[in-house]
Amino acid sequence: MMKYTKFLAPLAVTIGLTAAAAASAQTLTMGVRGGPESMDPHFSALGSHAEAAKHIFDTLVWSGTDLQIEPGLATSWKPVDEDTWEFKLREGVKFHDGSDFDAEDVKFSIERIPVVTGPTTTTIYVRRVAGVDIIDPHTIHIHTDGQAATLPNDFIRLFIVSSEAAADYSTPETAAEGFNSGKAAIGTGPYKYVSWEPKGDLVLERNDDYWRGKGAWEKVIRKEIPNDSSRLAALKAGQVDVINYVSSVDYLALERDSSVDAIKGDSVYVMNLQLDQREKTPLVRAKDGSELAENPLRDLKVRQAIDHAIDRETMVDIVLEGLGKPANQMMPPGFFGSSEDIPMPEYNPAKAKELLAEAGYADGFEVDLYCTSDRLPGDGAICQGLGQMLTQVGIDTNVNAVSKTVYFPAQSRLEYSMFMNGWGTLTGEASYTLGGLAHSNNPEVKLGAFNRIAYKNDDVDRLLQTGATMMDEDERRATYEEAMEKVMADKAYISLVQLQTVWGAKAGSVEFTPRFDEDTLAFFIKPAN
Amino acid sequence: MLGFIIQRFLQAVVVMAVMSVIVFCGVYAIGNPIDIVIPPEATQEIREAAIRRLGLDLPLYKQYFIFMGNLLQGDLGRSFVYNVPVLELIGGRLPATLELVLISVISATVLGVSLGVYAGYRPESWISKTIMGVSVLGFSVPSFWVGLILILFFAVNLGWLPAGGRGETVEIWGVAWSFPTLDGLSHIVLPAVNLALFKLAMMIRLARAGTREIMLTDTIKFARAAGISEGTILRRHLLKLISIPILTVFGLELGSTLAFAVVTETIFSWPGVGKLIIDSIGVLDRPVMVAYLILVAFLFVTINFVIDLVFALIDPRVRQGATS
Repeated sequence: MMKYTKFLAPLAVTIGLTAAAAASAQTLTMGVRGGPESMDPHFSALGSHAEAAKHIFDTLVWSGTDLQIEPGLATSWKPVDEDTWEFKLREGVKFHDGSDFDAEDVKFSIERIPVVTGPTTTTIYVRRVAGVDIIDPHTIHIHTDGQAATLPNDFIRLFIVSSEAAADYSTPETAAEGFNSGKAAIGTGPYKYVSWEPKGDLVLERNDDYWRGKGAWEKVIRKEIPNDSSRLAALKAGQVDVINYVSSVDYLALERDSSVDAIKGDSVYVMNLQLDQREKTPLVRAKDGSELAENPLRDLKVRQAIDHAIDRETMVDIVLEGLGKPANQMMPPGFFGSSEDIPMPEYNPAKAKELLAEAGYADGFEVDLYCTSDRLPGDGAICQGLGQMLTQVGIDTNVNAVSKTVYFPAQSRLEYSMFMNGWGTLTGEASYTLGGLAHSNNPEVKLGAFNRIAYKNDDVDRLLQTGATMMDEDERRATYEEAMEKVMADKAYISLVQLQTVWGAKAGSVEFTPRFDEDTLAFFIKPAN
Repeated sequence: MLGFIIQRFLQAVVVMAVMSVIVFCGVYAIGNPIDIVIPPEATQEIREAAIRRLGLDLPLYKQYFIFMGNLLQGDLGRSFVYNVPVLELIGGRLPATLELVLISVISATVLGVSLGVYAGYRPESWISKTIMGVSVLGFSVPSFWVGLILILFFAVNLGWLPAGGRGETVEIWGVAWSFPTLDGLSHIVLPAVNLALFKLAMMIRLARAGTREIMLTDTIKFARAAGISEGTILRRHLLKLISIPILTVFGLELGSTLAFAVVTETIFSWPGVGKLIIDSIGVLDRPVMVAYLILVAFLFVTINFVIDLVFALIDPRVRQGATS
């Protein structure tokens, strides 16, 4: 359709596009919101860091468009006993410097991570690894601390660096220097490192010997443009070919703009309202300001009332301009462990008031609601909508949408009673989400580290602990589904909406399938013809 | 003069020490940077390890003294986020800010003073009234909005100039500059105009006010009576007399623009230090924030010091006051 409307575009724009296209027929310039923090792939677990690293480096296990796990540098894997996984490695793969990829590089990469990682720690990818044994150059045994059913999922961001090129650059002091200068930034990925500066451009050239086949672009420039309006302006001015994270406000305008294609994709992020379950909670009080006898959020009826007070449809249509879907659980549908048996909560303010009255709060109460305002698209706006909806059923809500730099530290100090932020199930399976949020906070079993509401359901704890050790996939899936159903029925976590993200591209210029993890990967972007 | 320099130097040290304490306590009060950057899969154990690795488990005063100890050895620390020395990080981006700011502040001053003197010299002409009217816009329209409109008009609609970023650079003395190349210049134009507008308006108003006042003084009357041409009066007498407030403002503006060109840098994706500091605040990258603010304090003290010296050169009254 875009092809036929193109000639209607103003002459100046047409000339501009043709000129730019002629000059850069083999170059893809991407305008992206965030970038890597170093060229060392093991330095940070940040999404945009991994996204950039995926251009230069490969992972053992690949996560596909829908986050299903697929062979990467490992061609197959299987558990050989209770706490050992065997990985078969791909043969004939070469690093950018021409050296061969083998088991030595995998062992080196795994052992390097805890030494060189930064504060956004990549140790998480190897947290279950107790030891690595090289069986032969293309077979490796990974020993784990107990049964680790989801080890292959952990490895989707385990980047493999060259054990030779990075040998001298594997201490915290030398890593950044070696990788940022390009000396050690030698991977097996689809593109080779040319240059990079922090917060600036990452320039890449094609790896003609890539094992998946040759990429479509000879040269890729990944420009960091954090400001949403500036990124869109750069696209419209023809400076970049593709941009990520078009804001919901601009999305409406793009839909009507024939010079730009808007590509919409589902996101892994779900907004969750979280209700403090401690006996004393700091930010809830009676409407006259006096202290309540007990924390009303501990009462299931109150939590159900809150759930019924929320109009998810309106939130999506009005607050998010249609860029989202109502959510009934903490993960998008179809993910490993998300349940189809959970009903979509009903919006019913009358019932909400009834439930509040039954719980003994006929006059409601007052609460301070905290949310992030600058982390995910629409988070601040959703927060305000939420505040109005709760106030309508009698819970006077003071909305505080604050910067993530304030929000997360305060949340971890347990200073909030009612708060909302997004959670992305980046591994595509439930042990990641439920293990972090829904298990009671228990360092001994390494679960519940992000449970900031003292939520504890013994059934859920038991299911999550057994699920983590189940090697049979179907059994494990059923276990996590059951856990998810129980958590959502308790309403201490109330899922609101699943977000969607939008990419922008010059009309008719490129083709690509949006990925669930929101990565923008040059290798998978093809020129349209 | 020597006493004056020593006094200024001591002031600078005190200012920077106080600054470092305020910044350190302020950032500490916001909270633990780990909580912002820690990935969700992290177990309690991994979180503790990350905190220890950055030395964030130590009490505040210990963290502060370790930082100051390193600082005295010329080491400003390493960025939490980039794991590179802070000086390298800031130094690598300073040229970008420097050229943008110098171009905009100098052109704003040259143009602003010329227009302002004219407006003060012929206050009744319609040109002067236009100049003053337009200068009100420079003050009152927010600069982020002007930036967006500039991009929309010149980059998106007309397609004459790029929408953002820094153009081609060339290395001079090992530093990458973009102003010597045509592509680089075309990238500088819009952000420089955006940055210059407010300063231009201020310079016009300052120069006009100064001119109107000075034109009524005996100095000018006697100069005219002595038959000196109007051009010479303006150049030799008027400009010198109105230059003290203009220089003061020039210095302050230069400093504050260098340190806080952040709005313009963000909108035009200019890879300068302003953007760096805002991004660092966003993730509580403490070493960068503290080092940067200390450097800014140093910058202001230096600029003010230089301006004081220049006063002494221009104005004999200041010179005599300093020596007596």
